[in-house]
Amino acid sequence: MSLKQGRFVERTVVYVGAVLVFLLVAFPLYGVVLTSLQREEDVRSTNVNFFPTYVTFEHFAEVLRPGHIVPIREAMTNSIVISALTAVVTVTLALPATYALTRLRLPGRRFIIAALIAVYLFPTLLFVLPIYIQAVQWGLTDTFQGLLIPYVAFSLPFTIWILRGFLESLPVEIEEAAQLDGCNQLQLFTQIVVPLMRPGLVAGLLMVFILAWVEFLTPLLFTSDLKILPVSLGLYRSTYDIKIGQLAAAAVLTALPVLALTTLFQRMITEVITAGAHR
Amino acid sequence: MIQSVPQQVASLPAGSHRVGLHPRTRFALLLVAPALLVVAAVYLYPAALTLVFSVAEVDLATFGVDRFVGFQHYLRVLRDPTLQAVAGRSVYFGGLVALLTLVLGFAIALLLSRPFIGRGLLRVVVLLPWAVPPVVSGVLWGQIYAAEYGFLNGFLRALGGEGRTIWLGEPTQALHALIIAEAWRAMPLSALFLLAGLQTLPDGIYEAAALDGAGVLRRFRDMTLPLMMPIALPVLIFQFVAASKAFDVIYVLTRGGPGNGTTTLNYLVYQQAFERLEFGPASATAYTLTILTLLVIGVFVFLRWRLGVRSGETAA
Repeated sequence: MSLKQGRFVERTVVYVGAVLVFLLVAFPLYGVVLTSLQREEDVRSTNVNFFPTYVTFEHFAEVLRPGHIVPIREAMTNSIVISALTAVVTVTLALPATYALTRLRLPGRRFIIAALIAVYLFPTLLFVLPIYIQAVQWGLTDTFQGLLIPYVAFSLPFTIWILRGFLESLPVEIEEAAQLDGCNQLQLFTQIVVPLMRPGLVAGLLMVFILAWVEFLTPLLFTSDLKILPVSLGLYRSTYDIKIGQLAAAAVLTALPVLALTTLFQRMITEVITAGAHR
Repeated sequence: MIQSVPQQVASLPAGSHRVGLHPRTRFALLLVAPALLVVAAVYLYPAALTLVFSVAEVDLATFGVDRFVGFQHYLRVLRDPTLQAVAGRSVYFGGLVALLTLVLGFAIALLLSRPFIGRGLLRVVVLLPWAVPPVVSGVLWGQIYAAEYGFLNGFLRALGGEGRTIWLGEPTQALHALIIAEAWRAMPLSALFLLAGLQTLPDGIYEAAALDGAGVLRRFRDMTLPLMMPIALPVLIFQFVAASKAFDVIYVLTRGGPGNGTTTLNYLVYQQAFERLEFGPASATAYTLTILTLLVIGVFVFLRWRLGVRSGETAA
């Protein structure tokens, strides 16, 4: 086989592979979008259509109507508030901790870092059980705080891990120079490190927001009140008895904000994830 | 990873040694304390309490320990054939999801590591399942597996098949349907980890090998695969741990059924704790899952070590 033929074969394999991967990964998403845009009788037909001949937004209009059994509008508002709050609180807690664990002299530093990774080995339910009991005893179920505490706690180790990747990639010389210029420890942290960490903080906020948005187990156990229902649980509620088209529309609405964020910030998210792989 | 903390640089103000701690250390403690308090309250304390619960009967009125029963709950997992099946299923589920995401992720990473038209788009698409809320994942896979109007059966009919299978109606099929759904959502992380790994491989040796006449397949078999082994193992472990903790997809698609055909240890913890309110057994199941996870990781590491020894590879 000549080099030219080899190139041709290689290129064919690449494009066939690319199309296959695209179909495999994207089809489930396409399927739910398609369902949300078709009339109910066509959705339920055994004559499954893979390509639409028309498009209808009736399911979206229905699901977004106030008073619909799936409170998707309220749930989305709740989720925006809870996810944003979780992101801000988590990053605020994680940032100073990351700095101390990465750059400062701290007894047991290695142990703490190892422990933060080790919690990941335990099933979440192992921690959730006592937290649930405590929440019941303190009357924290069905409250924003009751949701916020586990949300923040469960994303904290992960966030410290992300921020550490960023901090380690910053040259320590800048901090050393600032110290020589007479910065005290607090100034060094607030005026030098925090501004340098800004891209990392944005990435951290983004990742925690997404993870809080998709969280399901915590709201499942900690909320029953419709007033604070986050969107993932709201959607789940709708799986009881509802038109399939409407369920698909609700699913699309639930996924849309995080998928939009992921598409917009794909590069940043990929960098955060792969930075972890290098360590 | 070199920590260069210039301790000599900071000139210490006089009288700062009152507490006996270096002021830099005190500052560090101050910074790390809030996060550690949260971690202690939400991880350490609950883990300890669950450990106590796992050897006790829990009084549901007070949520306190009613009486201690020793390792009875643990022994039940070892003796009861139903629970043994659940444990085995957990390992099978986690292992197969991990393996699937590894193979798929590696193929995708290889693809994305070379330039082609549309690569930018594919990079975005490949990441998307990671951000799909698990419940949405449940809904969309539910539509794929649905018996009457599902896409999978529709596709099979379009190919001329019968297309009447009730995918989630039979335990073994349902389990594998869940494995595929979970692998779909977990695949992006594997692909990205492996892609990052591929990009760390030196280009020079490839060029040298190509000049020496090594074809694409030989370069892949003799260079890419062995070089990627050290990266594949952490990915496998990561995905195994993640998959053995899968909850949402099981809850939304099958609720552990039919029968208990898709009940894994993690799902059993939920059933015991929140459906049957058996906090003691639930805690023991949670710890059994943790121990089992550690054991499997141990086996992975051991196999990797054996493989390394056999191929005469020197430790990195």
